Amino acid sequence: MAKLTLEDLRKLRDEKKQAMNQRDAEGKTAQVIIGMGTCGIAAGAKAAFDAFLDEMEKTGVTSASIKQTGCMGLCFSEPTVEVKMEGMPDVVYGNVDENTARRIVRDHLKNKTLVSDHIFDKPSTDIIKD
Amino acid sequence: MHATLCDLIMDLVQNSVEAGASEIELTVRATDRQIAFSVKDNGKGMSRDVQAKAVDPFYSDGEKHAHRRVGLGLPFLLQTADAVGGRTAIDSEEGRGTLVEFEAEADHVDLPPFGDFAAAATMMISQADGFELRIVRQADNDSYTLSRSELEETLGDLNDTENLMLMKTYIRSQEEDLRKAG
Repeated sequence: MAKLTLEDLRKLRDEKKQAMNQRDAEGKTAQVIIGMGTCGIAAGAKAAFDAFLDEMEKTGVTSASIKQTGCMGLCFSEPTVEVKMEGMPDVVYGNVDENTARRIVRDHLKNKTLVSDHIFDKPSTDIIKD
Repeated sequence: MHATLCDLIMDLVQNSVEAGASEIELTVRATDRQIAFSVKDNGKGMSRDVQAKAVDPFYSDGEKHAHRRVGLGLPFLLQTADAVGGRTAIDSEEGRGTLVEFEAEADHVDLPPFGDFAAAATMMISQADGFELRIVRQADNDSYTLSRSELEETLGDLNDTENLMLMKTYIRSQEEDLRKAG
């Protein structure tokens, strides 16, 4: 890959802009928040972040935003990831390694089903299938 | 312990963000012989007393998590430096900001791998709003700089997934070019 300039980056952005505008009008559908404290970083937050981005690109789930936060106080279940989206309960997933991040994109964000075996903070027992 | 040097760097930058810094400068210089990085911020800084405690793994200011008894960010950095015969320096003044430096010989057998800087930088830049992060990346014969405000001005919302993908592609191209130049 040739070295990109900011101008190249702007062009790439503009190429996608039309699709993005259309989507923005529909509203962001999902927010992914990754814990990035010492505990999160040590447990592999960067690998999870990378896997989220990569899987979102592969599956075309791009109407989302990814944010970071510090330690959420759940150091023992890092990397932790909170997912908020319309029509789904707010969920905190624990032990989100690369593979789990990919499952969250495919199952939770794309198909609107919970990745039950990694739910740390149970939103309500009646909606979790074992 | 952090698995890579990029993880150590991310931790330091996250500290600066949590210290309420509006300006953060990260310099990362990696050559065949030496690895050196520094993070300088204008955050709330630390008193001499807190500085001494901050390097103790069993100290946390307790502001965020009342019952927590550990704080491992800076201790991890010191531990890594200690393991590879490297050097760290912490210079901080309450109300003014903090400078943290690390350097080590690149060929020490216990030095953690460098890690994926493009992914780390993308995460550091997009981790919060309201601060400027300037990253200076240097190799032997070349360097490049990134500025959070410039990227935000170019891309728009830095938490948007597509913008994050573009940002990572952009930074990866800078990294590849730097590697080629050596």
